[in-house]
Amino acid sequence: MKILNLLVIIILLFNFNVSKAQDKNLNSKITKNLRCLICQGQSVYDSDTEFANSLKLVVENKIAEGMTENEIYELLKTKYGEWILYDPVLNQKTYILWALPLLLFLIGGAIIFKNLKIKKN
Amino acid sequence: MASLIGFYSLFFSLGCSILILLFSFKNLKNTTNFDNKLLSLTFLQLVFIILSFFGLIIAFINSDFSNSTVFNHSHTTKPLFYKISGTWGNHEGSLLLWLLVLTLFIFLFLISSKKQPKKYRVLTLLFQQIIIIGFLIFLIQTSNPFAQIYPVPSEGLGLNPILQDPALAIHPPILYLGYVGSSIIFSSVLAASSTNYISKEWAKHIKQWILISWIFLTLGILLGSIWAYYELGWGGFWFWDPVENVSLMPWLALTTLFHCVLVLEKKLLLTSWVVILSIATFTLSMSGTFLVRSGILNSVHTFANDPERGLYILIFLFILIFLSLIVFFFFHKTDGRNKITFFWLSKETSILINNWFMMYFLAVVLIGTTYPIFLDVLSSQKISVGPPFYHKLIVPFLIPFLLAMAIGPKLNWIKSDLQNKFHLLLLLAISLLLSFLIIRILEISFLFNTILFTSAFYLFFITLRDFFIKGFKNLAQNIAHFGFSLLILSILLNNFLSNEVITNLKIGETYRSDELTINFEKIEKIKRQNFEAIIGKFNVKKDDGIVEILKPELRIYNQPNIVTSEADIKTNLLSDKFITMNLVQNQEYFNIRYQIKPFMIWIWFSVIIISFGGFFSLFKKKYEK
Repeated sequence: MKILNLLVIIILLFNFNVSKAQDKNLNSKITKNLRCLICQGQSVYDSDTEFANSLKLVVENKIAEGMTENEIYELLKTKYGEWILYDPVLNQKTYILWALPLLLFLIGGAIIFKNLKIKKN
Repeated sequence: MASLIGFYSLFFSLGCSILILLFSFKNLKNTTNFDNKLLSLTFLQLVFIILSFFGLIIAFINSDFSNSTVFNHSHTTKPLFYKISGTWGNHEGSLLLWLLVLTLFIFLFLISSKKQPKKYRVLTLLFQQIIIIGFLIFLIQTSNPFAQIYPVPSEGLGLNPILQDPALAIHPPILYLGYVGSSIIFSSVLAASSTNYISKEWAKHIKQWILISWIFLTLGILLGSIWAYYELGWGGFWFWDPVENVSLMPWLALTTLFHCVLVLEKKLLLTSWVVILSIATFTLSMSGTFLVRSGILNSVHTFANDPERGLYILIFLFILIFLSLIVFFFFHKTDGRNKITFFWLSKETSILINNWFMMYFLAVVLIGTTYPIFLDVLSSQKISVGPPFYHKLIVPFLIPFLLAMAIGPKLNWIKSDLQNKFHLLLLLAISLLLSFLIIRILEISFLFNTILFTSAFYLFFITLRDFFIKGFKNLAQNIAHFGFSLLILSILLNNFLSNEVITNLKIGETYRSDELTINFEKIEKIKRQNFEAIIGKFNVKKDDGIVEILKPELRIYNQPNIVTSEADIKTNLLSDKFITMNLVQNQEYFNIRYQIKPFMIWIWFSVIIISFGGFFSLFKKKYEK
């Protein structure tokens, strides 16, 4: 236990000057989350088609204009539809998508814990 | 001629199936011994399928364009190796390969299961034949690999160049051995259920087949991943592409099943769950085939599609599921010991936890892959589910999963205490400290990544220590778990340390940055058998002064007329240097993408270690405590 305590203290000490983890390249982060609409299952980032290249430019310009990541997604969504976003937004259509796996996890856990006994006999 | 023999062989093997069905029923009723006619017929059927398969290969080798499969997927100028691998690089041929594996496995099953009860063996054969008949009719009806064309064309349409690759030539056969191998588990579990033979002996015997499928599936997925890494030229190795997901799902189910069967073998528990998992594994393989072949999925891997085929597989799939439900609900006898509870600190519980998480991962992949399809059908709204979805739902759950993987194998059956608590804590402290240092150096977001790294390191150190103190005891398990920790660590480091430069260069130009310069020296043109290659020569100089020469290619294939970009990769133990070049349209510039991908080779290597764990377990005499 002593080791653990010591460790916690060390971490806390170091933690005061944690440098902000910054994403080096917002552009590539965004384009990785965009589907290249004319390709078969490739992201804009990975594709070299004209569509992808023009979209890379659009993203670059929008970043230069000072738009945030979410604003860019929103813009592209209204233009091309949700199909373009690889990260499905949470809304009416996708509640089930996001919640069902987690729900199944909880149910699975409940079944297991029902059959566990804590005390030795 | 070869096509003709191949075509008629299919009918002969269908004939064998019918005879086998007849004799099986007779054998079930009358005698006490296994009828050897059944074995001979199964062998004969295998021979016919092999004949048919070789018929197709020979048609490909001879470029016999009167055969429509050859016409559509081959070309006279293609190298011999790819003429042969083209045999299974298409829908019709790959289905023939399915059949080959189906018949091969049932034959191997029959000759290796002589000690098992007669009724169980006959029934397994029977169920397997139902699958074989389904596929034979599917093949002959909707996807005949030997369809004729008249007049005979003088030249073929050629094979998609990205499939002309050594890794992809062997990827389908290996993957199919795993995929289709699960059919034996399916047939066997139905047979064992209906004869009430789900027992410790059965678990011991079926474990071998689970392992065989699992090893091949693991290696098959690995080969596909390696191929995607260097051939698609994106530098990634896993894209959460629907077709990749479809191969991952049976893998997750098989891994879960394997752990469960261990409990069954030792304690005769979880019988119904084992039955359900076995059925699920094969069903997932079949659904995968359905999804890929029906053209519903939007993926790089999609074969030419045809709704009629999709419909057939779907109906067949429902028949199989219906059949297994009947067997499960009407024949499977639960042993009336459902009220069994587990002590919380025991090997059984840790395996249940494994099951719990694996099923969750499976649910994420399954829902993520199929949800967009259902949404599209029901409300005609299109959404994409890509890597961010899977990362968000899977990565956080890896933390407890890794910890359980480290602690679980240390527990005993029924109930146990943790011994050596000191070492467990010490290693945890070391892992934490190490992760902490790495996170500081990498300058990435702090809390979550530290915990993630810690749990991966923890599994790493615990398994590493066990190699030394436990020696051969539990070695197979330890190897596999060690491999998994190495895999996660390599992926994490690869992900955080990858670096890239994307730039447009003319011949003779040099790109400069603080860390490196890339000099585009020249290009040369070389004519090869079925493509023309433009090879670029790049000198990459890093700040330490070492110059590396990289030669990526652009290939212009003659038939079909497609340009592909071939990456040049320099691999060493620490990192891969990866370069691709592409033409920028109507300009003299080339688009250059230079990537440094650390620990790539460790990702491949750790998957090999994982599968080696399975391999080792296969040849181990008995499973120790």
